[in-house]
Amino acid sequence: MTSVITPTTETKTIRVSALHALAYCSRLFYLEEVEELYTQDAAVFAGRRLHAELEKQEGEEWEDLYLESKELGLRGRVDALRTRDGQTIPYEHKRGRSHRDQNKQPQAWDSDRAQILAYCYLIESALGITVTEGRIRYHADNVLIHVPFDDEGRNTVKEAIKRANQLRVSPSRPPVTENERLCQRCSLAPVCLPEEARLAHNKEWEPIRLFPKDEEREVIHVLEPGTAVGRTGEQLKITRRGQSPEKIPVQQVGQLVLHSFSQISTQALHFCARQQVGVHFISGGGRYVGSFDTRQGSIQRRLGQYRALSNPEQCLALAKQLVKCRGQGQRKFLMRGRRGLKDVSAKLETVIKQMKALLKQVEKAQSLETLLGLEGNLASLYFSGLPCLIAREVPSSLRFSKRTRRPPEDRFNALLSFGYSLLIKDVTNAILAVGLEPALGFYHQPRSQAPPLALDLMEIFRVPLVDLIVIGSINRKQWEVEADFEVRGTQVWLSQSGREKFVGLYEHRKQESWKHPATGYSLTYRRLIELEVRLLEKEWLGEGGLFGQLNVR
Amino acid sequence: MAEPKHWYLICYDIRCQKRWRKAYKLLGGYGERVQYSIFRCWLSQRSREKLRWQLEQILTAEDELLFVRLSEQCVRGLSVYNREDAWSPQGEGYRII
Repeated sequence: MTSVITPTTETKTIRVSALHALAYCSRLFYLEEVEELYTQDAAVFAGRRLHAELEKQEGEEWEDLYLESKELGLRGRVDALRTRDGQTIPYEHKRGRSHRDQNKQPQAWDSDRAQILAYCYLIESALGITVTEGRIRYHADNVLIHVPFDDEGRNTVKEAIKRANQLRVSPSRPPVTENERLCQRCSLAPVCLPEEARLAHNKEWEPIRLFPKDEEREVIHVLEPGTAVGRTGEQLKITRRGQSPEKIPVQQVGQLVLHSFSQISTQALHFCARQQVGVHFISGGGRYVGSFDTRQGSIQRRLGQYRALSNPEQCLALAKQLVKCRGQGQRKFLMRGRRGLKDVSAKLETVIKQMKALLKQVEKAQSLETLLGLEGNLASLYFSGLPCLIAREVPSSLRFSKRTRRPPEDRFNALLSFGYSLLIKDVTNAILAVGLEPALGFYHQPRSQAPPLALDLMEIFRVPLVDLIVIGSINRKQWEVEADFEVRGTQVWLSQSGREKFVGLYEHRKQESWKHPATGYSLTYRRLIELEVRLLEKEWLGEGGLFGQLNVR
Repeated sequence: MAEPKHWYLICYDIRCQKRWRKAYKLLGGYGERVQYSIFRCWLSQRSREKLRWQLEQILTAEDELLFVRLSEQCVRGLSVYNREDAWSPQGEGYRII
């Protein structure tokens, strides 16, 4: 190839409001425009209302123009054009306060200035008239600021458009802004996780939490077969056989979990998709069946995941971290159980010692196969030590000798299996909410039973969310040997009442909050699952080092 | 940003059946009806503004609308000087049906 062909690309024009975001923070612009994560914060709605009110008050002619200028590469809605002394002046109304300079004089904020200049230029270019100034009115302190529009202003806008176009084709997120005060007011902070990124680059940094402490929305488990979930108005309607329907405001629902054969209407499914409610299906036997996947667009994040996870070295490093995290968690759990026992069996002591030796080898593992072998050994040791944690007065029907799956062969294994399927549901929910691809993991190989990435991430939470409550509830004698289980030949399943009891225990455990060792702030397990998915994504965004650090205290 | 949330009482008087129906449905998505024309909703600033915007789209000038934010102290005191079932406590974060 000697001649370079430059294809004439038809680039899309940029919204003026996107330039506003760019002037605020280039990473915000990237998240909104490239990764398509657009959230409207309170100011957006309040601003809209302000515009509506102004229209009612002023009674003047408002021109509502949608303008686009191909040569500039800009588009936007200009909704406040005034003509004063033959000059056309765009107005921008802001609900908040103006910026005050050192002499306490009102000034426009940088991002607002960028926005009004862009409007001026857009009007000039699209309507072919000359604009000399734009005006911004800040309603909170009632000041009107004149922003002159001259060649310097034109250059500013051109520069901004150029930068925006460069960012739009860039494959990676821009770094976090230097000015951390911007992040506290930013609506995308829980997605961008700026504080965690700063911590990844600077171990001395003490992050303040911008990530919500707890998930506010409820998880609705529909356990009774024959229950129907429908929609009425803005509510989910849950109708049980022979009872009056229960209505739940959709804003309070985060996940809907349908166990065995409860029904959901198509209307309700569409509604849940629109309101970002996760819908999951779990079979009557307690096996995770699947989820309703409503991720639209935002392919950028998954492309990043494909790139990172097709690199064997990256996968090995992550898998090591994972196996170490799980192994240490298991060992710590055994050690913690040892504390409560009056006489520690020699077997438990040996297991704890042997696990320590194996964990040392994890660091040196050169391939995934070696790791798999090590992990298998760790797991079998752990499950041979686990029966030692069961209190002496527990009847033999609730004890167990070894892990049996598909089908579980005793009550203890039935509890573990049901717990793990609830857990994989929650992890899958978090992966879908973040927008990653559950089918591409870094440790588990694709098989038919469950999405590999969900299986990978689940390893971190097995001990603190499932093993712990199973051992705890057995020792507290919370299980009815006959009523809570169904024994069919060699197979043991949880009965209806047993499942209800377990879901209660599990959800209760998820509400407990604790301090994340890597970031140093506390949050609930419910939120932690999502945070861990986001931290995993950070591993390949160049802000890594925080993933897979949690352990049982 | 971990957004702080508060209880709001939302009271309305709507002069027309058609608008009332729309507003009633919308509010049902955000919280529970406490009494006729009074809802209680657990909102962050963002969802409050969103709800207010959506309501303003429906209502007209002749209707009345009032948002009352309750402080934590207000909510704590409610059970002391009220009937038992006047204010149901907040959900557990999960429901089993």
